[in-house]
Amino acid sequence: MTSSPRNSKEKPLGKLALEGVTVRFGKTLALEEVSMKVEPKERLAVIGASGAGKSTLFRTLTRSVPLAEGRIAVGECDLYALSTKELKSVQRRVGTIYQAYNLVPQLPAGINAALGEVGGMGSLRTLSTFLVGPNDALAWRVAQALELVDLGDKAGARTADLSGGQQQRVAVARLLVQRPDLILADEPFAAVDPVTTERVMEALFELNDKGATLLVNLHDVRIARRFPRVVALREGRVVFDGPPERLTDEKLSRIYAGDPYGTGAGPDTQDDTRHPRREDPVRLMEGRDGISAH
Amino acid sequence: MASPPTEYPRVGGAIPRFSWKTSLAVLVILSLTGWSIVGTNFDLVELLTSTRPVEKFVSGMFPPDLSAATLRTTFTGILETFQMSYLGALIGAIAAFPLAALGTMEAPTIGASRGERLLQAIPYHLARLVLNVFRSVPDILWALVFVVALGLGPFPGTLALAVHSAGILGKLYSETLEAVPARPVEALRATGAGSLQTFLFGRLPQAVSGFTSLTLYQWECNIRSATILGFVGAGGIGQQILVSMQLFDYSKVATLVGVTILVVLLVDRFSAAIRRRLVY
Repeated sequence: MTSSPRNSKEKPLGKLALEGVTVRFGKTLALEEVSMKVEPKERLAVIGASGAGKSTLFRTLTRSVPLAEGRIAVGECDLYALSTKELKSVQRRVGTIYQAYNLVPQLPAGINAALGEVGGMGSLRTLSTFLVGPNDALAWRVAQALELVDLGDKAGARTADLSGGQQQRVAVARLLVQRPDLILADEPFAAVDPVTTERVMEALFELNDKGATLLVNLHDVRIARRFPRVVALREGRVVFDGPPERLTDEKLSRIYAGDPYGTGAGPDTQDDTRHPRREDPVRLMEGRDGISAH
Repeated sequence: MASPPTEYPRVGGAIPRFSWKTSLAVLVILSLTGWSIVGTNFDLVELLTSTRPVEKFVSGMFPPDLSAATLRTTFTGILETFQMSYLGALIGAIAAFPLAALGTMEAPTIGASRGERLLQAIPYHLARLVLNVFRSVPDILWALVFVVALGLGPFPGTLALAVHSAGILGKLYSETLEAVPARPVEALRATGAGSLQTFLFGRLPQAVSGFTSLTLYQWECNIRSATILGFVGAGGIGQQILVSMQLFDYSKVATLVGVTILVVLLVDRFSAAIRRRLVY
């Protein structure tokens, strides 16, 4: 991957600090009094049953949901007090990757990867990228990124025609092009095969090694155990924060109490009919969770 | 075989049981029907008994006039109608696009100031207002306006179709833009993309095949509209139909109307075939 200096004028994002963050969707309490700190370059897994507020937590970090209470500090600045312009410059350094890929399906894979840099483009460059494609420098970085995820020959392919695993790799290529300071990966492995899971994880870890803070939402506790720090949410509250060794079976069963998938090992390990899904008071509606898109 | 139990809950048909709401609705529908029948002198008996004028009209249409002169006027008339409808749809689509882009509601940035929200809302409401005016005036009224301003001929008719098409397409385009799957757009916004960028790379690519389909459909509608714009002197085959009607030349009317129906059907088929092949 190219080592061209990026945004040398901008200093890194700095540490994240959430203080008493509360988010409501109507009467549903999605996050309640969440406080935590994340140091730069940390590698952190967030676990919890579906509807526990994991995705909402991530969305607060790009100011995509309104806060009912609390404060989020990114480095020195209060994220929710920034002007739109300042917010954009913070968002530009936050890379996201989702379970549902969230690529634009009609565009070629190469353009989707190039969109990692769209936040930093002016109007003229946006137009020229739209009309004639990325400029040479960006095109080269896109080619490099696609090569790294083994999609070097797919730059011109329609994204919708790619398989799910390939699309997730395009999303990783978009991250590689963006070179963000903070990566928010929202259930990135939930819809891909084990091989893709390993490759996507490797790529994320590598970006982390190069200096990006990495936050990953996970359903699978086995993967979470490969992270030095695990945060668990239950019904919108932080119920565990520490190294995975302290995550005992007893704690896990409390974290996932009421979740049909039990300890987060996946649906195939348990008989759903014997564990009817309890109505979770903070289960989110379709579209707010990031999980129900497929 | 066991006999069915004597008492069991009845399921009933698919029609809802009696309720005050449905009864009121039925009452409203019935009274509106009666009131409108009286107001329009609607009389099926008259339609069936006064056969003489209908007979005269229908028998006058046969055989249709297939003389070279009539065929020539039909041909030029239908060509003009076709050209008017095509240009009207094209200009309408071109005018509709920027209006639709402005008239698409983008969710405001969370925590944006009131001034920023206002700044975002002004172009939206202006574009929507223009589109509403364009759309709510029927094309035949636009034709009247343009005929008064520019004189008789197909040019004012084309303009009328263009303005009305712009209004309809603009509204449909912006609704398509608003209805595209939101997640890719949100993903772009989350990485700092501005409104131009989310529009060009997020919404537009997802909406463009919908645009094509809508534009083709508007063209179909324009062909049908263009045939009557001639009644107010705005060109096309309608003018010929009106003149022949006034001269009681029903066999010529038959040719003109027959060819019109044929061309409208052909264009419908053609555009439907293209729309079926569009890849979403």
